[in-house]
Amino acid sequence: MSTTHPVIRTEGLTKTFGPVRALDGLDLEVAPGEVHGFLGPNGAGKSTTIRVVLGLIRASGGHVELFGGDPWRQAARLHERLAYVAGDVALWPGLTGGQCLDVLGATQGGLDETRRAALIDRFDLDPTKRVRDYSKGNRQKVALIAALAAEADLLVLDEPTSGLDPLMEQAFQVVVRERREQGCTVLLSSHIMDEVESLADRVSIIRRGRTVTTGTLAELRRHTRTHVHAVTVDVPVGLADALGVADYGSERLDGHTDIRFTIDAEHLDAVVGQLHAAQIHTLTVTPPSLDELFLRTYDGESGPLDRSELAQPEGVRR
Amino acid sequence: MSATGLRAMLGVQWRTHRRGTLVWIVALVATLVGTAGAVAGLYTTPEKIHTYAQAVTAGNALAAINGKVEGIDSLGGVIQDESGFLFAFLLPLLGISLVAQVTRREEEAGRLEALLGGRVARHVPVLAGLIGASVAIVVTAVGFALGLTAFGVPAARSVLYAASLGALAFVFAGLASLLAQVTLHSRGVYVWSLLVLAVSYLLRGVGDVTKTWVTWLSPLGWAEKAAPFGAMRWWTLVIALALGGLLATVAVVIAGRRDLGSSLVRGGAGSARASAWLRTPLGLATMIHRPAVLGWLAGALVIAGMMGALAQPFVNAVTGNPAMGEAIGMSGAQPEAGFLAVTQLYVAIIAMGYAVQAVGSLRGEETAGRLEPRLSGTLSRMRWLAVHGLVVITGLVVIVLVSSVVLAIATAWSMGTAVHLWSVVGAGAAYLPSELLIGALALAIFGLRPRAFPAAWAAFAVVAFIAFLGPGLKLAGWVLDLAPTTHVGDPPLGTVKALPLVVLCAIAAALGAAAAVGFRRRGVPQG
Repeated sequence: MSTTHPVIRTEGLTKTFGPVRALDGLDLEVAPGEVHGFLGPNGAGKSTTIRVVLGLIRASGGHVELFGGDPWRQAARLHERLAYVAGDVALWPGLTGGQCLDVLGATQGGLDETRRAALIDRFDLDPTKRVRDYSKGNRQKVALIAALAAEADLLVLDEPTSGLDPLMEQAFQVVVRERREQGCTVLLSSHIMDEVESLADRVSIIRRGRTVTTGTLAELRRHTRTHVHAVTVDVPVGLADALGVADYGSERLDGHTDIRFTIDAEHLDAVVGQLHAAQIHTLTVTPPSLDELFLRTYDGESGPLDRSELAQPEGVRR
Repeated sequence: MSATGLRAMLGVQWRTHRRGTLVWIVALVATLVGTAGAVAGLYTTPEKIHTYAQAVTAGNALAAINGKVEGIDSLGGVIQDESGFLFAFLLPLLGISLVAQVTRREEEAGRLEALLGGRVARHVPVLAGLIGASVAIVVTAVGFALGLTAFGVPAARSVLYAASLGALAFVFAGLASLLAQVTLHSRGVYVWSLLVLAVSYLLRGVGDVTKTWVTWLSPLGWAEKAAPFGAMRWWTLVIALALGGLLATVAVVIAGRRDLGSSLVRGGAGSARASAWLRTPLGLATMIHRPAVLGWLAGALVIAGMMGALAQPFVNAVTGNPAMGEAIGMSGAQPEAGFLAVTQLYVAIIAMGYAVQAVGSLRGEETAGRLEPRLSGTLSRMRWLAVHGLVVITGLVVIVLVSSVVLAIATAWSMGTAVHLWSVVGAGAAYLPSELLIGALALAIFGLRPRAFPAAWAAFAVVAFIAFLGPGLKLAGWVLDLAPTTHVGDPPLGTVKALPLVVLCAIAAALGAAAAVGFRRRGVPQG
């Protein structure tokens, strides 16, 4: 990708289904070559956004661009360059897993044969089994392999790892990183924070059809607090009142001082100096997890999550 | 075995399937009551009934199709004969579908697992399914009996007739419950039980034509031998109820002992690679529609082959008894052509059913979630629709042509003379525009209002009812005109005019265009 034009761009996107406003002014920008995490609770509009971006459903208002084109009008042509894993994976029950791979590959405009074979191996899939005899996880693997082996510039993955075991989840992350290094752009909608945290370059968090926040993980973290846990030989001086420090607590343990506090990222340097002066025994500095970012984002915005939003992941519907 | 959770299970099944079950009951009762009303209005005097009876019993062909009705010389007998063909399929289907939808389909979808994790014993879901189906069957039978009595059929005979039909449905409900234990997928339940039904139909037909004990091998034969309007053999109900009960008991015992998700029959492994053909849009569409084409083709071939084989006795009967020709709406002058025309109408209705089901499988692709990944590739919507349209139409033409050729060959074999192949094939082809119209109507519903797809089946049912029973029941002209088949001209007996066919084609094309426009504009998927 030589262009710096965004791969996906939406601006003020709205979509209504009858009386329901599924998207309410959603902004999303995915730059070439990045893995973009797409986060939001159930019913926030992630799958709807993806379907609009793919030209499967038509936006009620706002602007949407895919590879600089209009996905509703030029769907088939724009799809040549992408591969998609839908939230609810459905395959043809009479075909074998391998046949489905080939059919999906042909749908997307080709699979890389070497990669196909390597991925079948890596995800430990039996391609001769009929789809109707597969477990949910195995069906998920078929859709994933088809997308990851595709000759595509863009991967659109809607909760791709729901139903996968931790080993397969690990394999998935490795492969996504490989594909990214090969220049592939990835839009990754997910509920699994660890996955997004370890894969995503940038993140957009949406709620009720609107973008709540977007940026790199570092940017998001800049406005949040880092947890510090230190054990020092001496008692540090003036730490409790240092600039940026909060939630301070300390106690004497086995002749050492055990200190816990949180701090603004920008004041970390000065504080570590003070700890050093008191002779550091052990030191753990934990940046905020995405989980915290996520929950925090929602705390600030229009009230806490309601019950339905905290329900099961979307893949478990029906 | 104690039936822990039976009440809860019955509640769940009632909540999830009450609508479909009620539609079944209402549709069946309405069909019978409608037929009874029309027959009662038409055959008002004993003389008229006698003429009908003489006409129908004169040949073997109608006995093969509708069954050999004892006591046909009565109002009830005429009703039994008129509904014979339709009910021979609808009542077994009632039993099969009521049981299959709450047993293996639920197990396959994984919903049964959630219930069996609760306070529900393993054998209870199938037991509840059988109880629910039995209740629905009894309600249907009661509706039948009341409806017939209301039109003046003697009460005891009405009850026996209704009971014999109910017992027939019960045999197939028991069969389906057993098949649900031994096959892994609900599709298997349907395929195997429909196969048993087809064999039952053939055995009954062969037995009735040859007047031998073969009829007794078929559950359809037991219902017929109950002879509600003849000798009234109540004891035949015992055979059906005993067999249905035996099958059901075995099913419940197996369900209590087997593992969840297990089966006797399992599919084997397949190819790890898709052929180049399967990877093309055309290849995949062919794969998707092939089962429907083969299934409906088999049905059409059974009708065409059986009717053709009985051509000679049929023609003899009409030649010797012109009243028969009149009764079934054909002139006695050309019995052979009239007989071919009747058969081609049956084939046309079968082909129409295929068209609706094939278009319905497009809707199935969408609701199952397979259309979404398909359209997120390089295939445009219009091309996807066009490719499927092509495959569906090809299947339609294959069904019509192959069964026409088989009909011609079987007729020639039976009559011992050459039959004009082209006139038979031409007659089949003349029905293509009307079949296309119904298919295009289904497609328009799919494109514009996909959630309303069941309306396509309702339209098919109305057309089939009018085409099969309309002329015999002497329905009003405008009602007959509602069915596109009415405008074809009854080939090869009548002459086919070009204009009506052109109009039918034009309407089909307009519906097809509306479907394309609607499908291009709407969101996918619409669940």
